[in-house]
Amino acid sequence: MPLIPLDDYLVLSAAMFVIGLIGFLVRRNPLTMLMAVELMWNAGNLVLAAFARNFSDMSGQVFVFVVITVAAAEAAIALAIVVMVFRRRPDVDVDDISVLRG
Amino acid sequence: MDAVVANIAPQILFAPLLGCLLIAFVGPRLPRSVSAVIGCTSVFAAFALTVGLAAHVWHLPVAAQRIDLQFGTWALVGQAHIGFGIWIDPLALTWMLVITGVGFLIHLYSVGYMGHDANYRTFFAHMNLFVFSMLLLVMSDGFLWLLVGWGGVGLASYLLIGFYYDRQSAVLAARKALIMNVIGDVGIMIAIFLMFAHVGDQSFAVVFARTGAFGTSALDWIGIWLLVGAVAKSAQLPLHTWLPDAMEGPTPVSALIHAATMVTAGVYLVARCHPIYDRAPAAAEAVAIVGAASALFAATIGCVQYDIKRVLAYSTMSQIGYMFLAVGIGAYTAGAFHFLTHAFFKALLFMAAGIVIHNLGGEQDIRKMGGLSKRMPFAFWTFLAGTLAIAGVPPFSGFFSKDSILDQAAALGHPWLFAVGVAAAALTAFYMFRLFFSTFAGEYRGSVEPHVERVPAMEIPVAILAVLATIGGFLVLPGHDTFSALLAGAFPDAILPLSLADFDWPLVLGTLMIVAAAIVTAYAMYVISPQLRADVSRRLGGLRLLLLDAYHVDAIYHLMFEVPAYALAQACGVFFERAVIAGVPQALAAATSALGGLSRGWETGYLRRYGLTIAIGASLLLYFVIFGLHDVGAR
Repeated sequence: MPLIPLDDYLVLSAAMFVIGLIGFLVRRNPLTMLMAVELMWNAGNLVLAAFARNFSDMSGQVFVFVVITVAAAEAAIALAIVVMVFRRRPDVDVDDISVLRG
Repeated sequence: MDAVVANIAPQILFAPLLGCLLIAFVGPRLPRSVSAVIGCTSVFAAFALTVGLAAHVWHLPVAAQRIDLQFGTWALVGQAHIGFGIWIDPLALTWMLVITGVGFLIHLYSVGYMGHDANYRTFFAHMNLFVFSMLLLVMSDGFLWLLVGWGGVGLASYLLIGFYYDRQSAVLAARKALIMNVIGDVGIMIAIFLMFAHVGDQSFAVVFARTGAFGTSALDWIGIWLLVGAVAKSAQLPLHTWLPDAMEGPTPVSALIHAATMVTAGVYLVARCHPIYDRAPAAAEAVAIVGAASALFAATIGCVQYDIKRVLAYSTMSQIGYMFLAVGIGAYTAGAFHFLTHAFFKALLFMAAGIVIHNLGGEQDIRKMGGLSKRMPFAFWTFLAGTLAIAGVPPFSGFFSKDSILDQAAALGHPWLFAVGVAAAALTAFYMFRLFFSTFAGEYRGSVEPHVERVPAMEIPVAILAVLATIGGFLVLPGHDTFSALLAGAFPDAILPLSLADFDWPLVLGTLMIVAAAIVTAYAMYVISPQLRADVSRRLGGLRLLLLDAYHVDAIYHLMFEVPAYALAQACGVFFERAVIAGVPQALAAATSALGGLSRGWETGYLRRYGLTIAIGASLLLYFVIFGLHDVGAR
């Protein structure tokens, strides 16, 4: 199996991260924004895994598992918050949810 | 250390304190009368022990009569050692005998006089506190413990002047007395600082032994600062204005504190510090001049006052002026002797006046008295004995002591002081007989018939004091100067002769003639001819008004001190209080609030703006981390 060079992984990861960031910044539906956040997270995971393989150091992959676990917990909390917001408000636009402004 | 003295002296000191504490803490659970019994018994115990101690000390050789007992260390400050000590010598014993003896009689009198008062226990607790403080003052072996006692008597005086605390005037008088006395306390403190600066110690033994180490100028300053303390405590010019107001207190308080004992503390201080004053001629002269001026000043005011207790207060100031005169010119025994006789006759006068006031239901204005000789014969005879004594009529005690002072003033070469003393003696005879005739002679001028009540607890002490005031002077007879012999142990190194007995008969007779003339004048004005009195009053109208207001000293002090102080306080209230005290925190609060207002703009509540902020921040951070590292690598 031909070896995929490290740079390709890094480029893909960067692309995923930027797509996730733009998605987070331009979308106003909290669920879509959560998915964008997941995308950025996984871009990071991809880099960790790619470097681990490149340097033959498995600790990078261990990090990936840790990140996935934490991300799952985060997602659960975020979804819980989103559900609570949905119950209280008819709309789903995060720009309308600004009660914490100074 | 003398074992007898070491055993007895602390008991004398602490008996009244124990009495005070018992009354204060146990008294409220016991019947009223128990407090009085504790109060009187503790002071009597102190008196009995003092008599025993005095008998013991006066049997010692003269050179051994000064006993300095050390009981331990109170404080070690640098090189200075401050001990617990008691200093017994004939001078201290004289004061102790009067404090406990006259103090006991006045306690006994109070049992009757204060009998109806609701705060009976408080009264006896305070009186015992006073006796303890006064004993501490005279038994101390150093200036610091003397100052503690000095402050203690000031406190007791404050508490007892303000005893009728529901009367505004009493509270104000108490406050005035305390403030005036604190001025004096500060004076003594400064004197102690000077002693520390020069010899590094405050005990009598060290300071007096090393007076040579001070230099005349420093001794003069110490003498002057001690005099400030003495003047405040003894109500001499110019810190005298609290004493007439102090008459707001109950009459036994006036008798004990403001006549017999506390106000003579200044005399004691100067006599005690004779090694200083003997070598500080300027300070000693200041003492004598202050005394002579006060004697004359107060005597003139006494001639026109109408309140029986105020007249007695001014006469106290005047008589203490005599004592200051005496100790100022170095006639310490004469001063101490006048203290002794004055304690007898002035306590007697106050207590006899107290009987009159008691029977008249609190009336103190002599214009509403008169004709009381038949209604109150006991008060009449005892008051007469006191009046004759203070006027200096032989053979009453005042004659011997006052003439001792005048005699010494003439003999030691102070003609002006002698002249002022004679003038004050004439005025004293005049105003005391004016008071006496106004109270007891003529017709009764009050509206309510007096309710005469004869209380043995009040009459017995008065009778004893009347006897003492009559015969107390016989301690000094021509050729038999017992008193100076008794006091010799206290003044082993006095520069001036102590003898009081060389009566200079031409001077004595001259003084007596002047006194007799003054008494006759008073008789003419207040018994024979009211017309003459009206004429004199009219002639001296302006002077009379000046004297009635006591030379406007209160008004002058009000203008000099109170008005500027109030103005300063007002100014501080407006400027300092509002600008600094209130302004600084308010400015801080406003600044914090403004800063918060600036930063709250960041908190928009828009989730996506936070996201963008984080993204930009993270990018910038990344940029600097990467290129920063490159920079480091390039170097």
